[in-house]
Amino acid sequence: MMGTLDYIWLGVLAVFQGPELFSIFGLPISITLLMILCGFLLGIVVGATPGLAGPVAMAISLPILISVFGYTPDALLPVMGFLIGIMKGATIGGAVPAILFNTPGTPDAYMTTLDGYPMAQKGHAKKALRVAHFASVSGDTFSDVVLVICAPFLALLVEQYLDLPEKTALLILSLSFIAAAVGGSAAKGLISTGLGLLVAFIGTGADFYPRLSMGTEALSQGITLGPAILGVLIIGAVFHELAGQWRHRDVASRPVPQIEIGSDRLSLGDIRKLMPYIGRSAIVGTMVGALPGIGSTLAATIGYTMGQRRHEKRAKLDEPAFGEGAMEGIAATEAANSSVSGANLIPVLSLGIPGNTAAVFLILAADSIGGFNPGPSVFKFTTDAVNPELVIAFGLFTAMFVANFLNWTIGGLFMRSMGVMARVPKQLLLPVVLLLTLTAIYVQETRLEVIWFTLAFGLLGYGMRLLAISPLPFVIAFILGGKLEATARQAFDATGSDPFFLLNNPIAAAFMVLSVAIIFLASRKKPESK
Amino acid sequence: MKVFRRILVAAVALTASTGATLAADWTPPGPIKLMIAFRAGGGADTQARLIAEALEAKLGWKFIPEQVTGKGGLNMAAALKDAANDGTAIGMTVTETFGYNMAAAPKAGMKPADFTGLTTTAGFQMGVVAPSSKGWTSFGDMVAAGKGGEQIRFGVMSPKLADLAYLLGKAQGVSLNIVSVRGGKAVMDGVNAGDLDVGFMAGIQAKGVAAGDLVNLASGLSEPLNQTPDAPTLADLGVAFNADGQFVFVGPAGMPEDARTALIDAIAGVVTDDTTKAGGYIKKAFGSAVVISGSDLDAMLQTSYDAAGALLKAASE
Repeated sequence: MMGTLDYIWLGVLAVFQGPELFSIFGLPISITLLMILCGFLLGIVVGATPGLAGPVAMAISLPILISVFGYTPDALLPVMGFLIGIMKGATIGGAVPAILFNTPGTPDAYMTTLDGYPMAQKGHAKKALRVAHFASVSGDTFSDVVLVICAPFLALLVEQYLDLPEKTALLILSLSFIAAAVGGSAAKGLISTGLGLLVAFIGTGADFYPRLSMGTEALSQGITLGPAILGVLIIGAVFHELAGQWRHRDVASRPVPQIEIGSDRLSLGDIRKLMPYIGRSAIVGTMVGALPGIGSTLAATIGYTMGQRRHEKRAKLDEPAFGEGAMEGIAATEAANSSVSGANLIPVLSLGIPGNTAAVFLILAADSIGGFNPGPSVFKFTTDAVNPELVIAFGLFTAMFVANFLNWTIGGLFMRSMGVMARVPKQLLLPVVLLLTLTAIYVQETRLEVIWFTLAFGLLGYGMRLLAISPLPFVIAFILGGKLEATARQAFDATGSDPFFLLNNPIAAAFMVLSVAIIFLASRKKPESK
Repeated sequence: MKVFRRILVAAVALTASTGATLAADWTPPGPIKLMIAFRAGGGADTQARLIAEALEAKLGWKFIPEQVTGKGGLNMAAALKDAANDGTAIGMTVTETFGYNMAAAPKAGMKPADFTGLTTTAGFQMGVVAPSSKGWTSFGDMVAAGKGGEQIRFGVMSPKLADLAYLLGKAQGVSLNIVSVRGGKAVMDGVNAGDLDVGFMAGIQAKGVAAGDLVNLASGLSEPLNQTPDAPTLADLGVAFNADGQFVFVGPAGMPEDARTALIDAIAGVVTDDTTKAGGYIKKAFGSAVVISGSDLDAMLQTSYDAAGALLKAASE
């Protein structure tokens, strides 16, 4: 008989006693642990490199990892552990160039520059980095705890109360929410979502004849996840950056950081002062993270604004205000954007709906390797036989806490040594990323067509960026497209071919009304209020 | 039928031993790409991966399993058709792909002759399965519930099974809401989650039936199920067709004879051996290995392709 605790224990064991790599003093070191560590260190490096970010590293390493580890369920934890490591490392790494050079390594770290760079200019760069690290790790850990508690609970709730029509409506609601929430305009979000669905429908469907393939062999197998997602997200970004580099080729080089003055330690008093800011931001970040499609940038903005308000009321006169080098500002931002990452996995694991790019790559990994299908069925606590997916889920939770442990222990030290990465010139970096991405895709699917697909999607991604259309709704719609169609068909069949199955049932109807209302409200927003 | 199967197994074992010298000469010129036509985690996928694992351990061959799902195996078939025929690309699907599915999709432009049959591994234990929580203990109970006005959601994982379910409802005078899902595991998940009331499962139900969580209401085959011999067959319930079929390994057309023999021997050797994980899984889920290979298999696939028209016609009436 299997109880909940048995599952948790199996998940922990799966990480620590997984396939053994080597042993130190007779103590076996599992490959998963090592992969988490490598991912984590790589994540800090790419996070600290302006122009790179977690998703780029995840995108490039995923196909390579899969070709190394193969397609067996044994590969799931090492590969996903590596990705989780990158996700966590990149979050703290992003603060480094933001503080030292006023250039955020990741978009989330933009608000960190507001106080981090002034602190560095005043000679407190190390202290600013310590604050960023402490706040980031606290927020992250809090978020992971919420994830572990909420994901199984939410999944059970969904499985118990939602029937096929409601599940269809929930998918539509998430897509409409993502279209409205990501990027500035609901119309652009809808275009992005629509394109994603269109691509997902090529070559798929219930009929034996591959639809939308225009009779070609290449299209009739459908578009695989790798070329579409990596093309739009990574290649598109590389094209856009290269074009930007070309336009701004005369801009002067980066400023040089100041030398350290005074103590760079974080005292207990400092921590006591920071905790209220970190706590509030962590809660905000976790709530924002749990909603699919709303990224960490919004969380950082809300966290910073809330922190600013509190600081104005309580700060003593001799303390720097927000925007002038207040360490509370760094803490409020970093805690908020870091606490998004754990909570972001709540909709992924409990509903199979990804909310951000990091989650997209975790789903991509699960999908490519097989043996783990994120969604409500993961959290079936079967008692007579072991549910292997649930063990993997608890293994992932364990991997997250291992990464947190690394973050608390060696993360700060490693992060503070990463200042050098900000000097890597983009004109060298971008071609390398381009080449690595194409190679990685070809490694996984050895057909030349995938390279053409990838480049074509890269152009699409570039065009979308030119028109300020976010590619994230495209990617998420592409991932959910097949599921949406299958669920809708099943709901239609199950209700005895009722064409109004989305409206004949109160929960489904409520979801549909909400879907329309979200788009309507978002499109009513005036452009200035973005 | 059981005797027939045993004879087949014995015959293959014999041919395997005589052909051993010939087969031993052949080693794959590279890693073997194993295209699996069904979703990861289902009965076909589990089987294919276990077989590949056993062969890697036993013969040192290297396999690269890959999911090429969709269109009832036709996507896999299309990808396999043009792959190298030197034994480095093989596919795992069900016999239905080459029968009903190819016949129903003339536009796809494929026929059984485009492939080299290797071997079947196991027959379906195709049952009409309901969760025991529904309280139905026989097929009659389900029909009674349907006639009493209850909407019954019947899960199927292929168009052929959808046709059979339709004919079953028609013969029994009860209207079924036939829901197509992807793969037998999805039917089982749907039944367990309460999204479906009943559905076709091809052997994956064995554990659940043994544990008392699921009930085999009827056999989808021409013969009774091993696990629930008392359940009526489709013929008993007034349907002239059945879901007889096997899991099958195939290669592209024109595979050299030594490669073909070596692959058949290797796969058949693993699936008929209960002590391997693959053989053990097959015994547990599907009763026993069913090995129909070589030219016998080619002939069987062609026959089922030719015979598919009758079911298509009956279901469209």
